Amino acid sequence: MSAKKNKELKSNNFIIAISAVVLGLIAGAILILIIGENPFASFRYLVRGALMSVRRTGTTLAITTTLMLVGLSIAFAFKTGLFNIGASGQILAGGLAATTVAFAVDIPHVPLIFLILLTGFIAGAIWGLIPGLLKAFFNVHEVVSTIMMNWIAYWVVFYFVPAFLKGPSLETESAGLPFEKTLRVSWLTELFDGSNYINVGLIVAIIAVIVIKFIMDKTTLGFELKAVGYNRYGAEYAGIRVNRSVVLSMMIAGGLAGLAGVAYYCGYSGKIQIGILPTQGFDGIAVALLGASSPVGVVFSSFFFGILQAGKGFMSGNTLVPPEIADTIIAVIIYFTATSVMFKNFWDKRFKKINEKRNIVQKDSNSIEEDN
Amino acid sequence: MKKFATLLCAMLALGSFVFANGQSESAASSETTLRVGMVTDAGTIDDKSFNQGTWEGIVRAGEDFGFTPKYIKPSGTTEADYLAGVSDLADSGYNMIITPGFKFETTIYKAQDQYPDVKFVLLDGVPHPGDYNVVIRDNTVAVSWAEQESGFVAAVAAALKMPNSKFGFVGGMEIPAVQKFNWGWQQGIKYANENLGTNVSIAQEDCLYSGSFSDVALGQQMAATMFDRGVDVIFAAAGGVGVGVINEGKSQRTSGKDKWVVGVDIDQYADGLMPNGESCILTSAMKYLDRASYDMINDELNDAFPGGTSIVLTAKENGVGIPTENPNLSAEIQAKCDDVYKMMQSGEIVVAAEQLPGLWK
Repeated sequence: MSAKKNKELKSNNFIIAISAVVLGLIAGAILILIIGENPFASFRYLVRGALMSVRRTGTTLAITTTLMLVGLSIAFAFKTGLFNIGASGQILAGGLAATTVAFAVDIPHVPLIFLILLTGFIAGAIWGLIPGLLKAFFNVHEVVSTIMMNWIAYWVVFYFVPAFLKGPSLETESAGLPFEKTLRVSWLTELFDGSNYINVGLIVAIIAVIVIKFIMDKTTLGFELKAVGYNRYGAEYAGIRVNRSVVLSMMIAGGLAGLAGVAYYCGYSGKIQIGILPTQGFDGIAVALLGASSPVGVVFSSFFFGILQAGKGFMSGNTLVPPEIADTIIAVIIYFTATSVMFKNFWDKRFKKINEKRNIVQKDSNSIEEDN
Repeated sequence: MKKFATLLCAMLALGSFVFANGQSESAASSETTLRVGMVTDAGTIDDKSFNQGTWEGIVRAGEDFGFTPKYIKPSGTTEADYLAGVSDLADSGYNMIITPGFKFETTIYKAQDQYPDVKFVLLDGVPHPGDYNVVIRDNTVAVSWAEQESGFVAAVAAALKMPNSKFGFVGGMEIPAVQKFNWGWQQGIKYANENLGTNVSIAQEDCLYSGSFSDVALGQQMAATMFDRGVDVIFAAAGGVGVGVINEGKSQRTSGKDKWVVGVDIDQYADGLMPNGESCILTSAMKYLDRASYDMINDELNDAFPGGTSIVLTAKENGVGIPTENPNLSAEIQAKCDDVYKMMQSGEIVVAAEQLPGLWK
């Protein structure tokens, strides 16, 4: 008997995530079949649209960058027992602060990149600090306060951008940042065949993932934050300063979302728009769920959603699948990831049965051996 | 067994992905076939405005010339999102891309260089990098309209319907396309007063720009204030804000007041319908978006694509005007408007596209 076979099968996050994705794709395939298209061909176009050329891969990675940072922010908050539904507001706060600084400060490109990243992180952290303080000292639920912070950010942008950052042609958005004030750098752009979107935010996102993973797994701070997430009262009894942990968690989560704002507004789009609450703040919830709230899981799930986002236009360009159906498919996949508990129960049951069967077989073989 | 089926499907799906990446991109035979695509502006394809008007023209051309058009809805409304939509079409082998709305100006400025083999039609704008230094490449046509003529004839129609009244104007953002509607509207009122015996006034405080194309509630508020001040007819050239104005017009008429709204861009009669089956839309100052997209496709098929130029569609080309039929206007008024329209076509009436002395801003 090999040791591998003796190992008990258990459902893990990877199997759950793959189940959600597969079921989502099957549901999408049924929709595509109803339209009268070939689902395999359509999905092929979807993936090709995201990855068929170096330039388009750059676009996909740029979309992934924002999702990764937002997903990381929400996953981090989940792990520490908080539901950060205010990532949209933190994205706006980070993006607005970074854009303002980028316009106002005249220094060389590389120091400027560090400066606007820092600014965005701090602004996002402040946007997370307020709900954190409210939660810690007045027990205001963070879902309520972060949603309200979303709208505060929305209206601040609405009035701030036309008043101070207005471009020459459009009333609804800021002037475009010149190339040497964005997160785009020429060597990355050239590496990706002149992609208009790829920026150093991607590197920042990957560093952020590593840092967060390190903090969570290897430091006392991470242990304390997680302990508060598992059981606030237990943690308090163990002598952990719960209030400090809650505030700190919200600040870090806010800061990460703020970085996403920098990557999106100073990297991907190069300008900030008014009257729009970035949907990435909510897509990030799906990214975090699919990634099982683990930093590494977020990397893969954000890349998956990046492919869907970047490829859907190409899919509808090549098939009869209208763009709205592409969005529906994405929504279905998000729906299945949100109900991942369902898959956990399903696989747990299946594996339990298999394990039981194996145990019986093993006992039988053992008894045969004994007989011999 | 079920699990097995699921696994099988998963493997098939994954397999198709893997093989997909191995395949080489099949080159679209662009020499002979015309493939027309459109990228939508903010809002849906059936927005009863710019998107819908443009799309209807493309669909009509598709039926006449035998191709299947395609539209892409970008995931956002920034230049980056629009450019991604254009790339999706261009990379899929579409060789003619039509974009409605001035928001595409900077997008097309970049796209025309990035995809030199693709023909671009930019409706209601001119390509520039964001500072109005217009650059139109040979693969691009910029189409705009003489909005002032459209506003002019709408004003004449409204003045004939309500000869002794006060008019107002609600604009979206203060951009040339909207301002020209406003100035045409005021010139039309003046013309009707001088030549057709009406007595219509328009006060400075009743010529307003909302600064938005989407805030429905704001439009309703502005219209309510204006109607309360005694204004009888409001011309709403403001997209979504105009929807709010129309809503207020409906509620005014439902409560028995004789107030009207003049629509914009396309025939908005249906938008103003009330429960009693009547509409509060007196007439609409139209730009024939569908004709523009149809004509450009036609030109391209006849190898006469006017690349590198900027075209202004006026009454002469039947590019602007008011709907030929509206139950709220009598045949007599409609006939008089037709006369005025013909005089505009022949050049007898010239409507200025700028703020003449005596016109409100």
